[in-house]
Amino acid sequence: MENLTLLIEGFSNALTPQNLLFALIGVLLGTAVGVLPGIGPAMTVALLLPLTYALDVTGSLIMFAGIYYGGMYGGSTTSILLNTPGESSSVVTALEGNKMAKAGRGAQALATAAIGSFVAGTLATGALVLVAPFIVAIAIGLGAPSYFALMVFAFVAVSAVLGSSRIRGLASLFIGLTIGLVGQDLTTGQPRLMFGQPLLSGGIDVVVIAVALFAVGEALWIAAHLRHGVPPTIPVGVPWMGKEDWKRSWKPWLRGTVIGFPFGAIPAGGAEIPTFLSYVTEKRLSKHPEQFGHGAIEGVAGPEAANNASAAGTLVPLLTLGLPTTATAAVMIAAFNQYNIHPGPLLFQTEPVLVWTLIASLFIGNTLLLALNLPLAPLWAKLLRIPRPYLYAGILFFATLGAYAAGMQTFNIGILLVLGALGYMARRFGFPVLPIIVGAILGPEMERQLRRALQISAGDPAALLSEPVAVVAYTVIVLFLVVPPVIKAVRRRFGRGGPTGGLQAGGDSDGYSEDTESTVEFDAFGTQTSDGSARVIRVVRPQTERRGK
Amino acid sequence: MSAPSTAPAAGLRARLQGRSELSVAALLAVIAIVIAVDTANIRHTAINAGVMGPQVVPTVIATGLGLCAIALAISVLRGGHAEAEDGEDIDLTQKAHWPTVFGLGGLIFVFALTMDFLGFVIGSALLFYGSALLLGSRRFIWALVIGILLAVGTFYGFALGLGIYLPAGLLTGIL
Repeated sequence: MENLTLLIEGFSNALTPQNLLFALIGVLLGTAVGVLPGIGPAMTVALLLPLTYALDVTGSLIMFAGIYYGGMYGGSTTSILLNTPGESSSVVTALEGNKMAKAGRGAQALATAAIGSFVAGTLATGALVLVAPFIVAIAIGLGAPSYFALMVFAFVAVSAVLGSSRIRGLASLFIGLTIGLVGQDLTTGQPRLMFGQPLLSGGIDVVVIAVALFAVGEALWIAAHLRHGVPPTIPVGVPWMGKEDWKRSWKPWLRGTVIGFPFGAIPAGGAEIPTFLSYVTEKRLSKHPEQFGHGAIEGVAGPEAANNASAAGTLVPLLTLGLPTTATAAVMIAAFNQYNIHPGPLLFQTEPVLVWTLIASLFIGNTLLLALNLPLAPLWAKLLRIPRPYLYAGILFFATLGAYAAGMQTFNIGILLVLGALGYMARRFGFPVLPIIVGAILGPEMERQLRRALQISAGDPAALLSEPVAVVAYTVIVLFLVVPPVIKAVRRRFGRGGPTGGLQAGGDSDGYSEDTESTVEFDAFGTQTSDGSARVIRVVRPQTERRGK
Repeated sequence: MSAPSTAPAAGLRARLQGRSELSVAALLAVIAIVIAVDTANIRHTAINAGVMGPQVVPTVIATGLGLCAIALAISVLRGGHAEAEDGEDIDLTQKAHWPTVFGLGGLIFVFALTMDFLGFVIGSALLFYGSALLLGSRRFIWALVIGILLAVGTFYGFALGLGIYLPAGLLTGIL
């Protein structure tokens, strides 16, 4: 019950007129920017970060909560009205949502997405309130060896488990760790990778890294392949749902929440797997399975709920352990660091008011989002028709602004350019961006924990295994890394027969599939081939492996 | 980009297609070497004794990058290829348009160099204008007007709303 008292205190903090205004601005801007094509939630948060610089900590966290949920909702609007969404978590929403919009049911698709997001977001934030104190209670007793192990676990999860190619994921991770290495070593003060440049001594600002990878990299990548003309968008009225739609939506919302939250909460998060699982579940349970692929409302309601619930679940490891497992969470850590706030179990003890105000503002942001977005949806839909040259020129404009404002240094814009080129390469060559940013942020922290663990044991590496949580983490890592290849090898030996054989289609040794096989995999789930197909496949692979166990 | 998935390509063609990804493997290797050299140059001071030295983590990273480079090279030579990222406004059927990419990169670079002299408003208005034109806008006056409005609006928004003063540069005293 203590949490409840704290939460109420958080609400009383967040519900001042000034803070409500910040939340409102956050939700509006977050949605407006998130709706813009090519801008995912992570980029939304990164681009809007400078706005919070001048606010006090509480005000900026509240605005942030609004931006966070607004950006997420904006993404689903884009995928429903435009198809081929930019961020992987909205891919599944696009499958049915865009079909619904094309069939003239865009208003219903947007409504079930908005209300489902609200329901899932609220329930999942409630779950966060319940779960977080327990994890904090455990985490507070953890020592450096456990933290080190959990970080390694997060690294392995984001680089080798979530992506499609282990080699590329790990390479991304090491590049991120390299970026995190730049600057003076925290303990010994030795310069590393500074090349005699004193401006690098404090390391590269995380905001610059995030803006470069998400905004500049993306803008350059799109510029290279810019589609001529604006893709057709579907005009839409104010979202509403009939009785039948409600009846078909509420169960998928709840199921989506139940599927989404745990996936976000374990430090191997990401919304791809839960959204896809939710989609498959709804398809199996639906009374109208024949509508799937032609605009089934369950196929929007479930995955959207799962997406939002997993986003709220992501906050569990973020706030209680300081582990970001999604790109958006990584950028949020950057925002926290601006204020010298370091998420983790200690934060709940040292700054309980702050933490609970943030959680309260998540509830508020979620409610504002619903209240605003139902009437404003037609306006957001108009934003999709913004001429692309202005859109991407604007992204570069705000990206350079954000990088400059991070330290009032033109030098930062130079770094922005270099890391932007890296972001371009990552997109061109299929290297996931998430491990880069997570590696860059967690790298220095990981080194600190490793040092601490070894210092206590006077350099004996056995100390790394001295805590049960650490042993469990390493065991799971080994299972993650060893089991899938073994299954693959066994399957190869005994042939690929059986109905699931086609699903395991793997191109080369690191799990990349050829285009033709992708289509086969995709059709195995009975969904229609679309531009987003390649992405959905990435979701399929880990799932089949899990089944294989 | 993605290999045509019809017949297995002829040896030479396959090798040509894989080549661009080999350059990525080479880049990873170069970064690994740079880290290794940099780490070797870290001076051993007294403080390094007792605690884990500043060389340990860079060494691990350099090794990891090196292994990734080798593994990637092998994977590419064996026919693995990456999927380029797709999106709303991306048309992967057309080849990368390098003049646009380098033009935009150049604009950002020039912006960084001239920002302190020109000031934020002029610099970023020009950045927006140049980017919009490079990205295919043909409304020469409109794009400039939008750029100026955006820059002036941001300048005053930051100054009045956030209390952050962006450099005025040439326009000092006017703005």
